[in-house]
Formats: sequence, C-alpha cells, structure tokens
Amino acid sequence: MLEVLGLTKYFSSGLIRKRYLRAVDDVSFKIEKGKTLGLVGESGCGKTTIGRLILRLTKPTGGKVLFDGIDLFALNRRELLAIRPRIQMIFQDPDSSLNPRMKIGTSIAEPLKLHGTIPKAKRGQRIRELIETVGLNPEHVNRYPYQLSGGQNQRVVLARILAMNPDLIIADEPTSSLDVSVQAQILNLMKDLQKKFDHTYLFVSHDLDVVRIMADRIAVMYLGRLVEIGETGDIYDCAKHPYTQALLSAATVDGGKERIVLKGETSSPIDMPAGCRFHTRCPRKRERCTIEEPELVEVGRDHYVACHLV
Amino acid sequence: MTLLRISDLKTQFPTPDGIVRAVDTIDLSIGERETLGLIGETGCGKTVLGLTLMRLLQSSTKTEGTIIYKGTNLLKISEAEMRRIRGEEIAMILQNPTTSLNPVMRVGGQIAEAIRLHQGLSKRDAKEKAIEMLDAVRIPSPSIRVNEYPHEFSGGMKQRVMIAMGLACNPSLIIADEPTKGLDVTIKSQIMKLLKEVTEERAMLIITHDLGVARELCDRIALMYAGELVEYATTGEIFEDPLHPYTRGFLGSLPSNGLVPIPGMSPSLINLPDGCRFHPRCGHATELCRRKHPDMIEIEDGHFVRCFHA
Repeated sequence: MLEVLGLTKYFSSGLIRKRYLRAVDDVSFKIEKGKTLGLVGESGCGKTTIGRLILRLTKPTGGKVLFDGIDLFALNRRELLAIRPRIQMIFQDPDSSLNPRMKIGTSIAEPLKLHGTIPKAKRGQRIRELIETVGLNPEHVNRYPYQLSGGQNQRVVLARILAMNPDLIIADEPTSSLDVSVQAQILNLMKDLQKKFDHTYLFVSHDLDVVRIMADRIAVMYLGRLVEIGETGDIYDCAKHPYTQALLSAATVDGGKERIVLKGETSSPIDMPAGCRFHTRCPRKRERCTIEEPELVEVGRDHYVACHLV
Repeated sequence: MTLLRISDLKTQFPTPDGIVRAVDTIDLSIGERETLGLIGETGCGKTVLGLTLMRLLQSSTKTEGTIIYKGTNLLKISEAEMRRIRGEEIAMILQNPTTSLNPVMRVGGQIAEAIRLHQGLSKRDAKEKAIEMLDAVRIPSPSIRVNEYPHEFSGGMKQRVMIAMGLACNPSLIIADEPTKGLDVTIKSQIMKLLKEVTEERAMLIITHDLGVARELCDRIALMYAGELVEYATTGEIFEDPLHPYTRGFLGSLPSNGLVPIPGMSPSLINLPDGCRFHPRCGHATELCRRKHPDMIEIEDGHFVRCFHA
C-alpha cells in the first residue's frame, strides 16, 4: 500500500554558514494494505516529519514515497488534490484540530463539501451515519468542540476522516493527550474501524505499550534514522538494538525488572555525532561505533537492525 | 510516625455556574519517609489537593477541614508562618517545569532565592549551595550551568532543576505534581531514578496519572475520582487485589493490561451524580448505588474502599 524509499528531509538554517538539521535521513519502509506500522521514537527523532512528508505537507529533500504504486512526490497540484482524500491524518491534540467556531456537524460536512463526493441533499444522512460509526449521539451534531470532552472530539476527528473513505491513515500520537480510560476507548474504536474498512495505518507514537497493541510491525527511530524494524512480536521478544531495549525496559509497567537507564540525552540533530548516532548514550559502544555508521542488516525474518554489535 | 494528617478536607470554588467541589471530604495521612501516590484522571481534583496543602489557592476558594503537619493545623496559621513552612518544611515540585521556571532569571538565582530566604545565607554562599544542589540532581558542569537561563536547558534538565529547587532547603515533605509528565521515556527513567533516591530521606506525595510511576516509587496509593478518594491501600494490594470497580477499570484500561476502556467519562465537579459518584460508569451498579453515597470502609487492615459491593 505504502512504500517509503530513502526518504530524507534536511532543514537548513543560516544564510552564509548554512547548517543542516537532518530531521529524517534515508528512511525506508513498507506497509501492506490493512496493516499497521508503529513508528516509535522520542521527541525530535523525526517521526512526525515522516508523517508530514508522506502527506506532502513539507517538501522532501530526497527519496520517494509510493502510495498504491503512485509516486506522490511526482504529482502536480491537481493530481495531488485528487489523491489527498485517500490519505488522511489524525493529529495529537483533538481540540486544536477542530475549528472552535464550527459546530461538530459542520466540521464533518466540510470535507464532503470540499471534495463534492456526496450531493448536498444526502449530506445530512451521511453525517448521521458517520457520527454513529464513531460512537457519538446524533444530538452532538449541533454542539461546539468546547462542549465535548477530548475523547469525544477525537471521535469527531475520526468521523471527519471517515467521510473521505481513506485508504491510509497517518495517526500522529492520537491519544497522547487523553486519559488512560478514554485512550482505551479511542484505540479500540480505531481498531474496529480498521477491521471494518480495511484501513492501513501509520501509527506514530512514543508509547511502546500502545504501539504493541495497535501495530503489526514496528519501526524504531533515533535521530532521523531507523535503528530497528520488524514484526511487533519480534521487537518485543527479541529486540536487538540497545536503544530499543532501553525503550522497552522504560515502558513496561511490571515492577521488579531492572530498568536500563540511559545516560545523557539525545544529541542535537544539527551536530550529529560521527559513526553510530546512538553511540554517545549506548551502554555497549565499541570503538568502531564512533567511526562507522551502521547500516540496517537483516537479523531474522523481516527483522532489520542498524547496529555493529548484532 | 505520622508527618501529615489530612481530615475532612474540602476545597470548593464558587463559580457563576455553581460550586465546584474539587476536593470533597478527603482523609489521608503520610508517615515520615513514606511515599504516597495520589492517582486520578484529568479534573479529579488531585492537583487542587496538592495546592490546598501548600495554601497556594486564591482567596475566594473555600477550604474546610484540618491539615495537621507536625502537630500544627496549616489551615489555621498566619500567612507569615505558612511562608516559613513552604520550601523549608514542605516543598512542591510543580507541574510543567517549562512554565514553572522564570524565563528571565538565571537558574542558579531561582534555586538560591529560597535558600537565601529560609537560611539567611549571603548571595555568594547561596550560589555555592545552588551549585551543590545542581550537582546533587546530576546536572553536568553545575558551576557553568548555574549561570544559564531555563531556555538553555532541555525538558529533562528543567525537571531536574525543579527537583533541585524543591530539595534546596531540605524539607521533610515534598509534593511532586506530575513529575514525569511530558518527558521522553528514556529521560523519564532517569528522573524516576533520581526521585527514588530523593524519597529515601524524606516523605513524598506524588500526584500523577501514571500508574507505572506510582508503582515504582510509592509505598501506598490513593485513587481519587470526582473529588473524593475511592480506594486507599499499599501499592502491592492496589495492583494485586484492587477492590473498587474504578481501580479495576483504571488498571484494565492500560494498554499492557488488555485495553478495556471504562465506558463514559468523569462527571463534572459542579454536577455530581447522586449516590455513588462512579455509578453511571460502573458495571456492578445497583439501585443502592444510585440512591446512596457509599462511605469509605476499611475492608482489610489498611485497605480502604468506597464501594457497597467490595
């Protein structure tokens, strides 16, 4: 469904002495139709930028994105407009994704109106269907976003996305601003919708517990690069990269187990360390790691790791 | 020995829409060197409880009950006496370090402020002490960092500064409001390790919605729902033998425990439901729960629950 090849994005700053921030650096992955890829990493690792690049909300520096065989970066404005309804995005904060001065019903009608997929007379009917699909009451149509809770607003966002009958949904931390009991409601709804409509998800998150439930495959990013990618089960049971191992030990709630506490913080993406980008924090670094940057190598069936030690 | 005993504590905000009963008849105690976790979802009143203990709410707030700290009722003493207690006896690590630190004041000055006020040290000695504190919370090169501004610190470092400020006057009790919110997972592990060391020498009240944090740091846990406590027990019992349906629901909605959501959402603190406040969302609710408000009962030694059916 989606194939990302060597995707790269550098942001530049400074006029005379140009400096480059390597937000996304040569990232490749694939997502099969109806499947979910979890994209995991800490703040500033480039995971959100990948989502925005796929939607062409930011201009890429290099690489290719194939959506259903179509090269998204080669499309002109008109072609892009035609394909956009099939790729939708859910943002982190539902309250700021909705226009505060628009009633819920109007917000959901907006994309139907813009893309003119449904005649005006049938729009009301379609909105009621959508509202029901995401588990809201018909009376919510006449409310404003501030009258609903965060969880309900995220349902509205989902309804608006469903209005477009998308194939691919990019979900950027869709539940990070919600309470756990409500988070569970939204995640379950997303899973049900995926089953029903055969959606493909790119699920961006920093929460490994959430990704474990949602994703078929997981890609772990560090400083703009993929460090590990594989089936969810393989990542959780036999993570190979030291960074993935540290993330996993930090995430799990079960007490008792000793945590791997990493030293220091993520280096700046402007002054990237030489060699492996993780070596400054890696508990198992060797001399080679400080000189040579590791490539992704296959360590198991469909399981790739970028580390000199595997 | 009991350090702090809260009895019948009520905090209410009069608003044009009605009275917000943010903290409603709460009884709690914290022993010396004990770490108590106060857990609840957004808007349950947990932060207000912390601010009530510090007497940091605006004057229009109505507070009733008693807060006995080392034999003195904090609600009865003068503002001057309270000012001595704040920082020196009880310190609060506020939520969100980015907005809690003064952006136009050097980090060292912010730590030294409390030291000079409470311990009457000279400017130079207070700065020495601030450097010592930064070193204690493991900020590298503290003698340089002490002269920097908050924007030069990362999120995790700012949280360390907040902890350093809290520890500066060596208080007996620290109230930490969401100390790990918004931090990346690997940084969160570092801060938790630091907090664990802090709790060894003093009492701490940790206010959080993160059960993983509570499980690792706390001796006992109190669950708060809609302004009141619903369950109160040792950490082990809360996790192994939760009795209140809300506690069970909260644990069950965690991604690592199967992601079973609690239906509905928390009630508004202005319009609380009759009977048990949790009954509209509870699967076991009976006629009794709809009519009568349950009291907190001690089911086993030290395990309190507010439920008719526990």
